[in-house]
Amino acid sequence: MKYITTIDGKEFLVEIIDDRHVSIDGKIVEVDFESVRSQPVFSLIVDGKSYEAYVYEGEEDLEVLVKGRLYHSKVEDERERRLRAASGGDVADTGIFHLKAPMPGLVVSVSVEEGQEVKKGDVLLILESMKMQNELKSPRDGVIGRIQVADGDSVEQRQKILSVE
Amino acid sequence: MFNKVLIANRGEIAVRILRACRELGIKTVAVYSEADRQAMHVRYATEAYLLGPAPSNESYLKGEKIIEIALKSGAGAIHPGYGFLAERADFAQAVENAGLEFIGPKPFAISSMGDKAIARETMMKAGVPVVPGTEGTDTLSDEKLLELAPGVGFPLLIKATAGGGGKGMREVKNIEEMPTLLQSARRESKAAFGDDNVYLEKLILGARHIEIQVLADKFGNVIHLNERECSLQRRHQKLLEEAPSAFVDEDLRQRMGDVAVKAAEAVDYESAGTIECLVDADKEFYFLEMNTRLQVEHPITELVTGIDIVKEQIRIARGRKLSFSQEDIKINGAAIECRINAEDPHNNFMPSTGHISHVVLPTGPGIRVDTGVYSGTDITPYYDSMISKLIVWGETRAQAILRMRRALEEYKVVGVRSNIPFHQAMMDSHSFMGGQFHTRFVEEEFSMEDIAEGKETFPEVAAIIATLVQHEHTERAAHVVRRNARDTSNWKWLSRWERLSK
Repeated sequence: MKYITTIDGKEFLVEIIDDRHVSIDGKIVEVDFESVRSQPVFSLIVDGKSYEAYVYEGEEDLEVLVKGRLYHSKVEDERERRLRAASGGDVADTGIFHLKAPMPGLVVSVSVEEGQEVKKGDVLLILESMKMQNELKSPRDGVIGRIQVADGDSVEQRQKILSVE
Repeated sequence: MFNKVLIANRGEIAVRILRACRELGIKTVAVYSEADRQAMHVRYATEAYLLGPAPSNESYLKGEKIIEIALKSGAGAIHPGYGFLAERADFAQAVENAGLEFIGPKPFAISSMGDKAIARETMMKAGVPVVPGTEGTDTLSDEKLLELAPGVGFPLLIKATAGGGGKGMREVKNIEEMPTLLQSARRESKAAFGDDNVYLEKLILGARHIEIQVLADKFGNVIHLNERECSLQRRHQKLLEEAPSAFVDEDLRQRMGDVAVKAAEAVDYESAGTIECLVDADKEFYFLEMNTRLQVEHPITELVTGIDIVKEQIRIARGRKLSFSQEDIKINGAAIECRINAEDPHNNFMPSTGHISHVVLPTGPGIRVDTGVYSGTDITPYYDSMISKLIVWGETRAQAILRMRRALEEYKVVGVRSNIPFHQAMMDSHSFMGGQFHTRFVEEEFSMEDIAEGKETFPEVAAIIATLVQHEHTERAAHVVRRNARDTSNWKWLSRWERLSK
């Protein structure tokens, strides 16, 4: 089985040959892979070197913690890859960005108005949660669309706050 | 003398106090909010009583109800921990009026140190140097403050007189931006402390935040347990503390210690307290404030002095004399504390709420973890974002840093984001290793990305693991589907066949 695995933006071609062998970018390595029962813990021994990993599902990808460092990974098989290529790929910088509350909290102040132009990194809103005031920033340049909250509102996690178009 | 203590707090500090009580053979009473029914402190205590709904003002801040529970359960004393009611003179007074012992200073000491303007005045009278700023204890209007500001000099800080923990504090670079900042400081202070009075203080650049732990008994004996280095902060929230400070020499230590004792004596202090100071590059120091309670970072002092501060607090409250004199206090080795918070250091330290599905604590020589969090905890938005305090001890500062690196690598928190990567980067920072930093270091000079550069990474290993995990996942799913498909089709086939043959 062939997979295209992306680690922090870098692609690797990984082929699972059998239970003990994997090829990565054409190089065949001997692997011994175990998962610890009822825990998200995995042990990998490659050529005698031992690695412990924690693997858990992130928002859009698998997160792999190895030696104290977190790697964001995306694993696709060839079919998924072709499908995604056909559908035109990612739409990161176009379309509408919906700002959702990252946590439940209290809207201290909305820093922008509908129709206002914003730059990436501009503060959109101050949300108080966990006894801290947190600035929510725009992930990109754009124009503020509809604002769905007002100062003093309580918001639930993932509640839509406003959009950047 | 009391034999049962009510702990008016939650989380790691409640557990910390419960442990001290257990070791002393004292019975304990926990109080909890609806959100904390399953919490460690509830399960650990001898008795536990519900306070009310999750928000603090309906639970942990309900002083009257807490005193009522203490009386009903027969607790003879209340330990407030830190935060919540710990620095509320009215609460301490109410505890005293109910005939209970408040494990902390007398209400007078809390109130005179609680109002920052009065505290500055008291310290100046006692001959303790304070940061230049507005003087007197009057309530100042915005107009008056704007008038006084140029005299204090820019940059300056607006601070809440009722303040603490960086709330109601704003940095002002010039007079133009000051009116807006005054407003937001007052707003935040009002929300946090119910009081919007503020004062001004000169901002000392490149300074360090160093504090002295003091202990005082009911007989007028006051000693200090040396300093803690707390300069590594973000938005005035401490992130990492160490003892001793690499910056403090024996002379400065002695000078600061003497002044701290003097400050405590000025308010007839008893129990544990902390004098926070700013120390500039010339080793001149200024009184910032006194925290009239147990500090979050007290464990590092415990590790280097060998003194259990919480037990000592309880002994003092029971009317015992301090069990040691100033000469007995020595510094042994070095200790570091990292505050592990549910915050995403890669995303502007945004707090992260959610379910902690899995925790693996670091263990082994020289490591202590104070926590109230366990596998299965929900991190809610009702309380602060601290998951735990990871504290290590080493023979030297360098040994402690190496040990902290190991501990951070062992520590796993699954389910919410944590700031462990931040601390790991800090342990690798040359400035940190060299002891070269100040209170603005984290915000102005420190970059996790710069430190990550050049470090050995294992993307291939991560790729292999991710692929194998995904592969097993898909295989298993395919297996299930296949079996189900066959099962259903068997029955469907049978029923269709039966219908056909009718």
